[in-house]
Amino acid sequence: MAGTGKAHLSDDGDVLLRVEDLVVEFPVGRTGLVVNAVSGISLDVRTGETLGLVGESGCGKSTTGRAIMQLPRPTSGSVTFEGRQLTTMSTSDMREARTRMQMIFQDPISSLNPRRKVRDIVMEPLNIWKRGTAPERGDVVDRTLEEVGIDPMRAAESQPHQFSGGQCQRISIARSLVLDPSLIICDEPVSALDVSVQAQVLNLLEDLKARHGLTLMFIAHDLAVVKNISDRVAVMYLGKLCEVAPSDELYRIPAHPYTNVLLASIPVPDPSAQPAAVVEVIGEPPSPVLPPAGCRFHPRCSNAQDRCRQEEPQLRSIGPGHFVACHFPVHDGTEAVAVRAPVSSN
Amino acid sequence: MAETLPSITGTTAAIAPVGVAEPTRRRRLPSLGVGFGVLWLATLVILTVFAGNLPFVRLPTQAVNGASNYALGPSSDFWFGSDRLGRDVFARCVYGARISLIIAVSSIVVGLLVGTALGMICGYFRGWIDRFISVFVDALLAFPAIIFAALLVGRAKALRQSEIEVLGFGFGWFNNTWAISAVFSLLAIAPITRIVRAQTLSLSQREYVLAARSLGARTPRVLLREILPNVVPALVSVMFTGVAILLAAEAGLAFLGYSVEPPKASWGLMVTENREFIEEAWWATLFPCVMLFLTVLSFNLIGDRVARRFDVREAAL
Amino acid sequence: MRYAAQRLVQFVLVFVVVTFIVMVATRIGSDDPARDLAGGLVSDAQIEQVKQDYPYLDKPLVVQYGYWLKDFVTGEWGKSYAASETVVDMFQQRMPSTAFIAFWAVVLGLLIAVPIGVYAAYRRDRAFDRVSGFSSFGVISMPPLVIAVLLLYLVVVRYGVFPTVGRSRYVAPWDNPIEHFKNFFIPALTLGLGLGAVWSRLLRADMILTLQSDAVMMARAKGISPQRVLWVHALRASILSLMTSVALQMSALLGGAVVAEQFFGPKGLGERLLIALQQNDLLIIQAITAIITVFVVFANFLVDLLYAVVDPRIRLARTLG
Repeated sequence: MAGTGKAHLSDDGDVLLRVEDLVVEFPVGRTGLVVNAVSGISLDVRTGETLGLVGESGCGKSTTGRAIMQLPRPTSGSVTFEGRQLTTMSTSDMREARTRMQMIFQDPISSLNPRRKVRDIVMEPLNIWKRGTAPERGDVVDRTLEEVGIDPMRAAESQPHQFSGGQCQRISIARSLVLDPSLIICDEPVSALDVSVQAQVLNLLEDLKARHGLTLMFIAHDLAVVKNISDRVAVMYLGKLCEVAPSDELYRIPAHPYTNVLLASIPVPDPSAQPAAVVEVIGEPPSPVLPPAGCRFHPRCSNAQDRCRQEEPQLRSIGPGHFVACHFPVHDGTEAVAVRAPVSSN
Repeated sequence: MAETLPSITGTTAAIAPVGVAEPTRRRRLPSLGVGFGVLWLATLVILTVFAGNLPFVRLPTQAVNGASNYALGPSSDFWFGSDRLGRDVFARCVYGARISLIIAVSSIVVGLLVGTALGMICGYFRGWIDRFISVFVDALLAFPAIIFAALLVGRAKALRQSEIEVLGFGFGWFNNTWAISAVFSLLAIAPITRIVRAQTLSLSQREYVLAARSLGARTPRVLLREILPNVVPALVSVMFTGVAILLAAEAGLAFLGYSVEPPKASWGLMVTENREFIEEAWWATLFPCVMLFLTVLSFNLIGDRVARRFDVREAAL
Repeated sequence: MRYAAQRLVQFVLVFVVVTFIVMVATRIGSDDPARDLAGGLVSDAQIEQVKQDYPYLDKPLVVQYGYWLKDFVTGEWGKSYAASETVVDMFQQRMPSTAFIAFWAVVLGLLIAVPIGVYAAYRRDRAFDRVSGFSSFGVISMPPLVIAVLLLYLVVVRYGVFPTVGRSRYVAPWDNPIEHFKNFFIPALTLGLGLGAVWSRLLRADMILTLQSDAVMMARAKGISPQRVLWVHALRASILSLMTSVALQMSALLGGAVVAEQFFGPKGLGERLLIALQQNDLLIIQAITAIITVFVVFANFLVDLLYAVVDPRIRLARTLG
């Protein structure tokens, strides 16, 4: 896997966000080494869709989200949002352009300043940009808070720690909405929440998306969560893309061995289900400081051959909207699926 | 990596923003202690501020007839007795408190202002500016503060006597009270910078800082609105313990001969003046010591309480 | 060892900055460094002699500092014109007193802190813990000067065993251990009490965390006796933070030693430094401050290395580097 290439990018006019060859590297102390967090990712997000971005911890998916926000600016590559190149913009222009793009973070507690009143936190974006008069700002904030299900009266006099995790995440959502953005990047917004609360927050996101005409980029490590909310899903491994496909298809007929492994790892709520015997993965993910040559997945891949160790696979089409970066995919889109994950019944 | 390693005087110098909560230990005692601390400090402040107007506080520099050579022990008239020159020890304790407190409090205020600014800059921007400032901070912390203070206060005297002028002004006004305050401010900056730097380093990784930036907040706004409010609790605690440390340092410095000029009084100077005669007149030495101890204790008690309240832990200042 | 090299560079940098700051400070308000170097009240001929010995005195400060650093590193420490003694002689004469005060202070501090800290952690929230916690807080709030006065009043004056104010003198322990003890016990205790109070609190807090850790649970579960767990397993885990604190307290300790020396004697480096400060005897000030800085910096360097050896996270970072 671990593919580069842009075959999967669409030519349509309604692309809201396009990321090309995004690279993010962090220095390791003063040693001269770098962590290759993101190594050449290309993505596009069409207006009105929800793109899921999945991968295991440390694969660079959150870094990708932040690099799109230019926080920090990526090492190289381009990010085009609403037709404007963010990567080459001056810092002040970028600040302005970025207001149309917002982010929700994983940790609901850490993403709210513990020493400020909740209503002030939600009002902060309007204060930064000096939108409208004070009463107008108050109206917007109260309306948005009600929309996400938080009592504005309570928000005016409470600090974040007086709310539950789910409520804090609602507050974060409200904060990201008040500037009226077109794209929201959700960085694992529900993985820190109880399962019962997860569904509520996901439903809220769906509602808001429909009501405000939002486009979502949904980052998660949990495929079960991504499956329901996403139109398309992109799978990442160690800073590279493995597979991009419409949600249904990805879950039904995954082509990349890594996607297969991920899908197989979803627990099945059926005690009689047989574990998928063929699917296995070897060892831990390698260090992003010294990524493997060739396909980055090859040391853990059960299908790996010599070619995988030398040549990096490119993303290529194997079906309508279905792209995979693998020399020896589980299937190439035409024939019947030989190996599939147990959730394929969906 | 550099941030995770212990810096020159060790990792424990930093405050862990979310410390291990000190559980219920001595739940009742701190409040008792804080009550005492507040009461003592309030009394002291009232005494020092209104010393000139209170009938029972004599002038600190005036010898009273017949009271010389430690003639008087503690009595209803001379509460703390008299010293060798026949001056009222109680009055000197009160006026000494005034000078000691002014020096300690003003230094800590300057230290807080400058140290907080430097620490936030180091912790937020990191890079070369952090390394540059940190070397000076490390240097100040690596060298015994009291020796450095003695050196500088000693030179202030030379400066005063010299012809040197800056912008047409001489240094005649730069008496020891000023010099000690200036040196203590400088000495207070270093540990405060280090504490604030450590806090800022960890706070700037919080997602609400990232959120503020993604909302378009400029750097000064992020620093003032998002980071500073979260540093303040630690600073309140540092303020109290810092005053305690500076009061002790002033006493030590006075003992080494670098105090305010006699006949002004400071607690350390009083101990120095009278300790050789402790056998004949314990009161002239012990009362200033007790005042010093109770005041340092009060500041420590309050600082400790604040630290617990906000769950701040500090190992060293 | 790349990590050690990095730390070393940083510590050398700190040493350079400290000694340079001290040099700048000694020149505040001084218009004739040659006269200062000669030790103040001396004849013009002597000043000429100084100018001959140190031809760089009219150069910019940075250049002067370069010369000084070269002399210091090569061991050319010069002599005090005012006191007509060489710096090396001065160190030989003065160093042992200060070193013994500091050494015994650390020993006394540990002797006080370890039993109290360990037992307070073991019997947490019991009477002993509360009393020791309360008293250590009190002792921490006592400046060294107050402790010195109390020891003077409560011990020295009452019992004629110890030399009184300023009368202690240097006796080597190998010459006369009893006299050595009499002369050094009180000044060392002045500093040791404070250290003991700080360390006992540190040790208690640290041990409580250790005692709650899974490793200690495991040791208990394996059937190792509580005493052994406490004194061997738990204490060993806390030694590192104690070592850190010893290094951290080093500069405060040497500063305190100056006060203790001045109060009780024996006259050591601190007393000599104070005399030099009054005369603005540049060479002596520079030499003593440089030695003190070397001590403090070296102690911290050792602790850093110790950390690197013991703490796997730092070891990992080192391997990566």
